[in-house]
Parts: sequence; structure tokens; C-alpha cells
Amino acid sequence: MATDTTNQSEAVAREQLLDLAAEFYDQFADGAVPSMQIPTRTKSNIEYDEDAEVWVYGDRHSTRSAKTVSGAKKLLKAIYVIDFLSTQLDEDRSSTLRELYYLSESWDHEIAQFSDQNESNQLIEDLEIVSDVSREDFHMRPEESGATLMGPLQLREQTRRGERDIHCQKDVGEGGYQIPNNPDTIEFLDNDADFVLCVETGGMRDRLVENGFDDEYNTIIVHLKGQPARATRRITRRLHDELDLPVVVFTDGDPWSYRIFASVAYGSIKSAHLSEYLATPDAQYIGIQPTDIVEYDLPTDPLSDSDINALENELEDPRFQDDFWTTEIEHQLDIGKKAEQQALAARGLDFVTDEYLPSRLDEMGVI
Amino acid sequence: MTSYQSELGGRSNVAEELAESQRSISIAEFFEKNKHMLGFDSGARGLVTAVKEAVDNALDATEEAGILPDIYVSITEAGDYYRLVVEDNGPGITKEQLPKVFGKLLYGSRFHVREQKRGQQGIGISAAVLYAQLTSGKPAMITSRTDGDSDAQYFELIVDTDSNEPEISVDTTTSWERPHGTRIELEMEANMRARQQLHDYIKHTAVVNPHARIEFEEPRERLKFERVTDQLPAETEEIRPHPHGIELGSLIKLLDESASHTLSGFLQSEFTRVGQKTAESIVTAFRDRHYGRELAWKPAPAPVIESAVSDVVNNKSPDATATFAQRVAGAVSEQPRVAHHECRAIVANAADHVKSTTGSTFGSTVQGHTVEAIWELTLDGVESELTELIDEVTTARKSDETIDGMARRLVTKLNGVDRHRLTHGDIESFVERAATQTEQRDDVTFGETAQQKVIEGVWSISSTVPDDPPSVTAVSNDRDFASELLEAMRETDILAPPTDCLAPITDELVEEGLRKEFDADFYAATTRDAEVHGGDPFIVEAGIAYGGDIQSDGSIDVLRFANRVPLVYQRGACATADVITSINWRNYGLDQPGGSGTPNGPAVVLIHVASTNVPFTSESKDAIANVPEIEHEIELAIRDAARDLKRYLKKRRSLQQRKRKRNVIADILPTMAEKLADMTDQQSLMIEDSLARIMSNVLIERTTTDDGVALTVTNHTDTTTELSVTDIVSVDPGSLESATVVEMDGEWFVTWEPTVESGETARLQYDLDGDAEFDISVEGIEAEKLSVTA
Repeated sequence: MATDTTNQSEAVAREQLLDLAAEFYDQFADGAVPSMQIPTRTKSNIEYDEDAEVWVYGDRHSTRSAKTVSGAKKLLKAIYVIDFLSTQLDEDRSSTLRELYYLSESWDHEIAQFSDQNESNQLIEDLEIVSDVSREDFHMRPEESGATLMGPLQLREQTRRGERDIHCQKDVGEGGYQIPNNPDTIEFLDNDADFVLCVETGGMRDRLVENGFDDEYNTIIVHLKGQPARATRRITRRLHDELDLPVVVFTDGDPWSYRIFASVAYGSIKSAHLSEYLATPDAQYIGIQPTDIVEYDLPTDPLSDSDINALENELEDPRFQDDFWTTEIEHQLDIGKKAEQQALAARGLDFVTDEYLPSRLDEMGVI
Repeated sequence: MTSYQSELGGRSNVAEELAESQRSISIAEFFEKNKHMLGFDSGARGLVTAVKEAVDNALDATEEAGILPDIYVSITEAGDYYRLVVEDNGPGITKEQLPKVFGKLLYGSRFHVREQKRGQQGIGISAAVLYAQLTSGKPAMITSRTDGDSDAQYFELIVDTDSNEPEISVDTTTSWERPHGTRIELEMEANMRARQQLHDYIKHTAVVNPHARIEFEEPRERLKFERVTDQLPAETEEIRPHPHGIELGSLIKLLDESASHTLSGFLQSEFTRVGQKTAESIVTAFRDRHYGRELAWKPAPAPVIESAVSDVVNNKSPDATATFAQRVAGAVSEQPRVAHHECRAIVANAADHVKSTTGSTFGSTVQGHTVEAIWELTLDGVESELTELIDEVTTARKSDETIDGMARRLVTKLNGVDRHRLTHGDIESFVERAATQTEQRDDVTFGETAQQKVIEGVWSISSTVPDDPPSVTAVSNDRDFASELLEAMRETDILAPPTDCLAPITDELVEEGLRKEFDADFYAATTRDAEVHGGDPFIVEAGIAYGGDIQSDGSIDVLRFANRVPLVYQRGACATADVITSINWRNYGLDQPGGSGTPNGPAVVLIHVASTNVPFTSESKDAIANVPEIEHEIELAIRDAARDLKRYLKKRRSLQQRKRKRNVIADILPTMAEKLADMTDQQSLMIEDSLARIMSNVLIERTTTDDGVALTVTNHTDTTTELSVTDIVSVDPGSLESATVVEMDGEWFVTWEPTVESGETARLQYDLDGDAEFDISVEGIEAEKLSVTA
């Protein structure tokens, strides 16, 4: 079943890519100037979609046109990439973003070669948006690996070497289950979970596992590994949607971590075109909140200039424009401090699993 | 003791001793000791100056005679010295004049004349002769033949430095192949260190004299400059001096020499732009200065005057007296204000009238008494009038007492003045004195501003007197009178001098000249309108040549000219250099580090100042003096030409950018098209149309069918384009309505001249039988803006 869907989406992907190429061809044939329109991917162009409850791109576009020298160069690169991707799909192969960058060096036309990986990454994102196909469906992988899962969940994964059925507590080691690059190849079979807990840092995740938190509270612990990869966000969404589980997010108490929460819950600015697919709007934020820092008298670090900048930026970020966030961010600017989630250890190693999480989860109505 | 004594009696002896050793020095002697003042300081410099003087003369003489100049200059080594020969095809010099022209300093026809001429003083060539004889001991050898003479005159002469007269050692006739002209040969100490300056001088002279043919030979090189126009420069007119441009000494001299008797006549005949009216204005101004004006006051009422007049008139019939008195009273009281001389005029008038009607004579005595009587009456009202006046002109802040005080004190002073006749200066001192006294005695302020107002107020109620101005002789003999006249001249508004005394090179010929000498990509030239400095008219011209073979590293070349003569030395001291360094050249596309100083780049800037009197910084006539009016004009002229340069550079840059863009895109687009055709598995694309649209070009495509050919011209630019499209066909297309067909060597040239508006397409077509070969050529548009697939 999954295979079929995968094959289907790949066929769709290939068709979309070739459609794009055909469009350019037609433009030439008409004697027009080849061009491509893409929505601008900045925080000034994201808006809230009421129905999907996530943040998507607005109406502002920029046009890449062959009329200018830089536009023509970009279009040439785009066409080369389209060619490459359609071949890749045809041959059922995949590659990483970094590999694409290096590959381009072998292309015959010098201008088509990428000057750095950022450029090729951006182009893949452009193509995603324009062709309405995710890069996973192009068979393009990022470097970062996705999350690990630990919890009462039985799943089936389609791999190159056949199907695998895995239980995410009994069949995995200390590290947990490593999700694949394309989590849509996973099928959920059975679960015993009450909620999903996304954790930012490896240290805190290990603490929770060591203390048996997943067992005691029937929770699936998802290790975000910092800024979560698309696969991670996708799996979180699927866990919420398909298994009907509430999702909570537990990160450090600093602006960068708030963004981590935002990308899980609201959608990221870079991939707002896939928000519907990747974001979990019902996700809730546990902490560390600035009020926690004060209440639990946690060991702190002072806010650096870039932290302050980031916080002020967030006050302008449309995704953070609600009462909860504005109050908390302003509070943090007031106290001028930040704290890691592992600082809770100052109150004892078990404080987090015995006191902090249970009482907070109770407050939030999760348990 | 002895010495003291000899000192006591010796004072006057010392003076006498000193007096004995004093003697006058001749001009020639002076020059001998001060050669550098005239450009003969070093051997190298001396040579350049000698060449300059001789060539200037040659050009002036040929132009004056209406001959196209042919000039030959040669410098050869002659033992320890150099031999300079300058030969021209001018009108020649007469036997009588020749010795003086070459052998007498400060002799020349150009000295007295206000005309645009190269040499402004006649000192030129004779100085070279003197320099040559001083350094080599050899005389100048001069040959000259005037038109019509069968033979040429040959002279060998030197300058006698004691007497400043020519000393002729040889005086004969000789045969000469030139029908007319002059040749001078000098042997002098020199060296060729100034080779570059010499070359520059000759080359630049050729640039600004495109009508001249110049040949130049020196030990190492031979240069020839052909003429590029047969048009002689416009003839210039001599003009008289302008009243605003003359000094006191020269004025007195003119007065002395003038044949005119009256000042008015003198002014009209000796100066330019002075007609009768202007002369009158000047004389009026002079009268005011010389005699002063008379203050005019309100007259007493008629009845009062009448009775006063009747009183003073004795021994006349009551009838006549009455008529007289009435007439006088009526006329006087009618005037709003009346001055003493006006009274006199009225009284004289009345006397005439009475004489003609009643026969009664009212002679000068009676008239005099009458005038006095009227004047007495008028004087009564002066104080109150003055008070009123002062009140009016000063601000409201002056108190009544202050005003009264001033008025009172002024009146006291005025009472001592006969007929209230005062000069402006008199009024000034009266008012000042009165003000000081008022300030001191009454303890109030009456400052300068207030004083000025009162002075002007009083002057405004005065009127010019009708007295005859002194005669020209009288004025010429009295320095003060002449000074007053000069001030009057300066004060009067007079039209700027006429400018037909000037012959600029003209911008076309400036450009021609630059083209001749510099192989550049761009030329610009401009001639300004005539302006005036110190009473002398002048015109500034500028030219710029850029790019091409001109050296691009290092600073730009500046060519300076005054009256068509290149200025070779003292570049830094010249006003042109100051103007050039003060302009921000970056604005016009030249590199100028720091935003000031001489700019860098492959450019030549030419400046020419033509005037009846070019002000130089020194006698060697190397650098133009910093006269504001001239500097201003130079700046405007340069900016004019520089703007053209800027436009050209901008266009060139944009064409270059276009080219670059085209190169890149012409590279990318076909690759794109090919790949797309591949990927979508369709036939390969023709991308010319897209390319033309991208480049905003004009696209020309060809379609051939069995019966004919069609060329479509599509205009993707944003302006209307006018083209000339020629299709060279190997088969005869017959005659066409919309195109011209010309046959040449078995090929037919079919030419259309379509005008295509922006965004439009034109179809050029013709019928053809069978196969043919085509070759298309397009004119009227830059290659960068054209896409052709035909």
C-alpha cells in the first residue's frame, strides 16, 4: 500500500517536473521570455490559513526571468536540475542535497554549476513550490537524520531490503527507533500511548528514558535533535493526526528553542508551502518558560545581544503574536536570563520526571 | 675730528655725488639686464620665445593681408650656436619700416590698437634679435619682399642698446623666389632641452590655426602640418576703448591729444558705445561731481512772492512790474520744489516775456535782486522742510527732539552755502558733523544708517546745475577735473563693448583642429558668447578629445591658447589650470583622485581665450591672469564640452553593458533551449525571437516561400527605430513600390527604409521566381541592438 502510494507520488513528481520543462519550452516557442514565478519566502509573506490552522505563504511573488543575466543563469540551473531529477526518478535513485551540489560541478555548462550548496538547496525548494511536489518525492535527502522515537508504538517500515515491523520499546536499543528520511514509508500498526512528548536535547531525552518516563506515563518520546528535520515534523504530525494523540514540546528556555517549537507547531518560514504537511498546529508548549526560570529559581545564563535581537524579532514574527508568547517573551526580556531544560537537574536528577513534567502536564490537561 | 667735520658739511655733497652717478637707462639696456621678464631666461627658453615671436608675427601679417599662411621654421646647429630661420608668405615689410620693426624695441603697429591680435606689444621680434646679438654677437639677417617689387630687400642689423635704434650693417636688394614674404635668420645661444615645448608649440599652433600650413625642421625631426580649411579667420575690427576700461593716466593722455573742444564731443569720438545720450549722462554725472548740485525747496505761495518781487523792482512802470511779478510768482509757486538756478531761469524767462509784451527791459541787476528776494523767501521754510524730510527717511524710533536737533544743525551749515550748491561729499560731511553734534549735545544716537538715509534724502531733492562743463583743455590740464570725469564715466551705465573686434576660432574649427592632431574616439567643442572684463571684450572657447590613441595613463593634456597663440610655459600659474583643477571631473566621467586637482584619463582639453586685451600674469605672456569674469567663462565653456563627454561616455558604457549581457545570454539561451527540447522530446527551438525580446533589440527574420521572400522587422526596443535594410539578392526581383532596387555586378540591392514604432512589426516583401541567395545588411542601428536571423 505504501509502495503504491510512493510509486504514485513519484510518478506525479516526475510528471510535474516535466510539465515545468514543457512550460519553458512553450514560452520559447512563443517567442516570449522564459520566466518562473515563485512566492517570496520571508516572514513578511507568511499568513495564517484559518482552515489548516497553519502558516502558509501569502501572495507576494518574485519572478525569475531570462531577461536579466542573473535570471537567465538561475533558469539555466533550474532546467539542469529538473533534468537531473527526472532522470533520478526514472532510475529510482536518490541523492542528498550536498551530492546535488557536487554533481553540478560535472555539468558541461559552466554557468549551470552551483557556487555553493546554499544555492542548490534554495533551488530545490523553489522547484518544490513551483511543481507542488515535496523534495522527498524527488528523492532528495538532507544531511540531517530525523528523530528517534521511544515509546509504546508498533510500526512497519518499507525499506530497500524489504518490510520491517518494529516496536519502539521492545525492538530497539537505548537509542530508540531512527525514523527514515521519508516517514511516509512508515505504517502505524498499534500503540499504547496517551500523548507524544517532543524533546529538544539529547541529554534530556536520555534522562527521560533512563527514568522510565515513557513507560510510566505512556508517552512516545520524540527526540527532535535541535531544529527538527522535515521528517521529524512529518512524523510528529502523523502521530497526532493518525493516532489522535496530543503533542507537547519540551525545549530550552531561549529564543532559538522557541523557534523550534514554532516550526513543529506553526510551520517554518522556509517550508511554509509544506506547512499543511509538516506542522502540528495543536502542539502545545511545556517549557522551559521564562516564568519557570523565576518560579523554580533555575541556574541561568544572561541573554546575549543576539539573544535579545532574536527575542525582539520574535515579537515581530506573526507566528508568535498571541498573548501567551508576547507575555513570556517580554518577561524574558525583563529578567534578561535564559535557562536550559537540563538546568532542572539543579533541583535533583529526578525533579524533571517527578515534579516538573507531571505538574505541568496536569495543568495543561494532558494527563 | 676730521671725519666728523667732513660729515657735517658733507650731507649735500653726498646727495650731489649720488646725483652725478644717476643717468637714464634705455629700454634696450634694461632688457639686456632683465631678459627673463620677456621670456629669454635660458638658452632653451630663449629659442622657444624667438620661434613664438616670429611665428606670431607671420600669422598676424598673413591674416591681415588676407593670405593663407605658409610658414617654414628651421632650427639647425651652427657650431656653438643654433641658427633659427622663419620664413612666411606674408605681405612683406617696406624698406623704411623693416629696420625699426626688427631693430627697435617697443615699436610696432599693434601697440596702440584695440584689436584681437597675437602679439599685444611690439616688443616681440626685436627682443629676439637683441637676444641673438647678445649671445652670439651675430646680426639678424632679414629678407623681405612686398608684392609688386621686383626684388627683395636684404638687411643685416642689430639693436643699438644705448639708443634703442637699429644699427644696420648691410642694406641691399637681392633676388628671391618668393613673390612676397619675410624671412628672418638669427644665430643665438640655445639648446634643444626645450625640444618638447617647441614641438608642442608648433603642433598646438597648427591645431588652433587650421587655415595655416606649417613646416618645422629641427636637427632630429621634421614635422609638416597641412591646412584643413581654406577659410581665413573672420576679419576683426579695431575698436575704441570703453569708458569702463580706462585708467586715469590714459584718460588724461587722450584728453591732451584730442581735437574735440567740448567734453561731450570728446566722449563720443574717443570711446566706443558712447552716443549723444550717453555722453549727456556722463557729463551730467560730471557736473554733479564738479560743481555739485543745488538743493531745491518748496516755494512760497504766489501772492507772497508777488509782493516781494514788486518790492524789489524799482523804476519800472507799475504795469510792467505787475506783469513781471505775477509771471514770476505764478511760475515759481507752480513748481513743487525750486532750486536757485531754476529761479534764475524763471526770472530770465519772465523778463523776456515782459520785454516782448511791454517793451520794458528788466536787466540783470533787477533779475538778480528778484532772484535773491525769492530765494530769501524760500529759505524761510527750509528748516521745517528738512525736519519733515529727516522724519520721513529715518525710522519711527527717532524722537522729535533728535530730528529737530539734526534739522537745526543742518540748516545752520546750509546757511553758509551759496545757493545751496553742494557736492555729494559736502552733504556727507555736513550730515556727519550734524549727527556727531546731535549725539554729543542731545545725548541721542544718530548712527551711520540713519545718516546715510538723510544724505540720500537730501541728495534726492537736489537738482543738477545747468553750468557749462569745463572745456576739454581745462580738464586735461587739471588732474582733479580728470579724476572727476573718470568717476562720472565709471558711474554711468554704458552698453558692453561690441564684439566684432574678436575672431574666435569657432567651435567647428576647434573640433577640426583637434581631429587633425589627435586620433580620438570623441570630440566636443564649444564657443561661448562674448563677455567683458575691465572694459575689454573677450570670448572663451573650449574643446575636448577623448579616447582612441590618446594616452590613457597619467593626467589629461591641457592645451592653452590666448589669441590663437599656444601658451607653453607656466602652466601652474595660469587661470585655466586653476579652473580645471577646481571642477569635479568625476561628475563628467574622468578619474580625479580626491575630487580635485588635474584629472586623469585619455583626454585632451583645449581652452582658448580671445580678447582685445588678454590679461597675463607677467610680461612673458605665458599664463593668463586670474580675472574672475574670465575664469567664470572658462569654467562654463569647459562644462559645456564636458557635458557632451559625459553623455558620450554614458552611452558607451551602456552599449558595453548591453554587449556583455548579450554575450552571456547568447551563451545561455541556446543551451537552455536545447536541453528543454531534449527533455520534453520535441523538436529544437528557434530562440531568436526570445533573444531579441530579452535584449530589447530589433529582430529581423526571413521567411521564404515559393513565390517570394518576406523580411519581418519587429521592434522590441522602447523607441521608434528608423532603419535602412538592404537585401542583396542573386536574382532580379523586378521593380518594387516600397523599395529601391539597384543592380551591380550581377547582384540586386533591394533597399527599404522602414520606420517601425516600439512594439510594432513591419513586413518587407518581394516576389521572386526560383531559388536565390540572400545577404542582408542593416543600417541605422547599433550592432548591439540588432538581432538578425535572415
